[in-house]
Amino acid sequence: MDKHPNDNPDTYPRLGRMMMWVDKPGSANKIFWALAIFCGLLFLADFAYEKHGHFDVEYIPGFYGIYGFVMFTALILLAKGLRVLIKRPEDYYGDKAVDREDYPEAELDKVNYDD
Amino acid sequence: MIDQIPTAFLFFAAALVLFALPNGKIRAAFLLLVPVLAAYQIWMLEAGVHSQVGFFGFTLDLMRVDKLSRVFALIFAIAAFLSNLYAWHVRDTVQQVAALLYAGSAIGAVFAGDLITLFFYWEGTAIASVFLIWARRTEGAYNTGMRYLVIQIGSGVVLLAGAALVYRETGTIAFEAMTLGSVGTWLIFLSFGVKAAFPLLHNWLQDSYPAATVTGTVILSAFTTKLAIYALARGFAGTEILIYIGAIMTLFPIFFAEIENDLRRVLAYSLNNQLGFMVVGIGIGTEMALNGTAAHAFAHILYKSLLFMSVGAVLYRTGTSKASELGGLYRTMPLTAILCLVGAASISAFPLFSGFVTKSLIIDQTAGAHYQIIWAILVFASAGVLSHSGIKIPFFTFFAHDSGMRPKEAPIHMLLAMGIIAFLCIGIGVYPDPLYALLPYEVEFHPYTAGHVITQLQLLAFALLAFGVLMRTGIHPPEIRAINLDVDWSYRRLFPALLSRISAVVLFVWQSVTRFGHRHKNNIIDRLYHSHGPEGRMAQVWPTGSMVLWIAILLGVTLIVNFMS
Repeated sequence: MDKHPNDNPDTYPRLGRMMMWVDKPGSANKIFWALAIFCGLLFLADFAYEKHGHFDVEYIPGFYGIYGFVMFTALILLAKGLRVLIKRPEDYYGDKAVDREDYPEAELDKVNYDD
Repeated sequence: MIDQIPTAFLFFAAALVLFALPNGKIRAAFLLLVPVLAAYQIWMLEAGVHSQVGFFGFTLDLMRVDKLSRVFALIFAIAAFLSNLYAWHVRDTVQQVAALLYAGSAIGAVFAGDLITLFFYWEGTAIASVFLIWARRTEGAYNTGMRYLVIQIGSGVVLLAGAALVYRETGTIAFEAMTLGSVGTWLIFLSFGVKAAFPLLHNWLQDSYPAATVTGTVILSAFTTKLAIYALARGFAGTEILIYIGAIMTLFPIFFAEIENDLRRVLAYSLNNQLGFMVVGIGIGTEMALNGTAAHAFAHILYKSLLFMSVGAVLYRTGTSKASELGGLYRTMPLTAILCLVGAASISAFPLFSGFVTKSLIIDQTAGAHYQIIWAILVFASAGVLSHSGIKIPFFTFFAHDSGMRPKEAPIHMLLAMGIIAFLCIGIGVYPDPLYALLPYEVEFHPYTAGHVITQLQLLAFALLAFGVLMRTGIHPPEIRAINLDVDWSYRRLFPALLSRISAVVLFVWQSVTRFGHRHKNNIIDRLYHSHGPEGRMAQVWPTGSMVLWIAILLGVTLIVNFMS
């Protein structure tokens, strides 16, 4: 589908217009810092209950948070490394592969929101 | 009357009746009615073995009903209903029939009480499902379907071989718990492993699911792999090797999913990862772990369908499911976006969503059995799920950069199907007791303790924070138009290349040998010709001289023989 020719945000579905807050300048920042504060609170919450872990590491304060942050970052970095090794052009398996074909139009119902 | 017929036959009969109905809303409504009837029947069935038939001296148990088979059959019927609702607009008879036969075969296999019945339905799922891929009607889909079919049918053949060996050994074809040891049980294990997408046997899944039609992929995602999970839970519960296989299954797909561009293939990798959790549960093999596997399969079918449906709706409206081409669609598809987010939250196991109350059963049992490394892998893999299914799918489709596409919201029947599933995902998450009551064993587990909720939120929130940091620093890999190699490279590139090399070598050797033979023969002929030919030395005295000589020799020999005897 090509870019929409006469794009007018005022005519989007109401719900869509409400969600456009996320694209306002500064919103991404707000979301990020709100998340950071939420993470801080969760870290502190670790001291507020009695732990019943199966392993010693679970008793480290904020263990799950630290593990999640570190492993997520490691995952992304390793995946980037993997991409260097295994990335190939889309026509690698020739033009008779699904990745190269357009989806058959007959199965689709491409409609713009204001059509 | 309805409880006398095996559930699978309901679907098969319906596939016949379908042809008598006009292709339109009546058929679509009929396609919804069949799974409802089936679900009602499954619900009302009493435990025990129903419908036995004789078959070449064997007794086949077509309906072995207990709590384990019932919960799987029930979710299969629910999945059939929801995917048929999603496919309300489809007027392609091939897909309609395939959907019925596929769901029927899957339910039949779950109720199979013996290995022969299991084999028939096992192959039934393979044959019926491939038409959902071929229904795309492109050359690429045809090729993919062939690869899929070879592997799926192969799995059934291995199953049959295993069943025959087990029968020779034990004298029974009953499908009960087995222990790995003999060749027969290993073959059955391997056959289940192919359909369950064990590591290295997995790639048919990521190869074929993105190649099916918009609605076909949704249907495919529900049955085959979860049938294999059921079969493993029935046959190999407590087999320790499954713990390690499952852990690897949760681990490796998250890396591939992270860099894959086609979002339906991302979901196929994600599916593979979710199967890993279930396989670990089967390997642990305690009653609670098996409960976890069954519960997770139930919840997983729902939220995975929801995710495939939301990406499918985008494909239906825009013609592409590639992350590099999409973005910013929330503006005009806000409902699909929100429903997708519910699926993403469910698979990521946020508290109050279904994944949380089912996956924690498995992880808790793994920790309880003191598999510390496996536990650490599962927790890591949970963060990985968040990365590709929780963030990548909704973020790069509906948010991120604006692609400029302004597609219309998904059609109402798609929204309805997704809405029902989203309701179930949240319903199970908030109030898991009805699901727990369906599980094979008594459940003594409280997912909503302070510890569970806080640790899970910590894991997810900090992982999200890491995503935020990586995006802001530009380290997060961008979505690009490309494909990635996986095991399918071996049979799409390596083996064909090897084969053509080998055939070239064989051809060369053959030609050399025959050429050498020819040359040798020609030499002999040439030499004989040289001496005996019309121009040859012998030919100078050929007509009379040599004749006299030979007669003289012959006479001499005769004389000697006579004299000697």
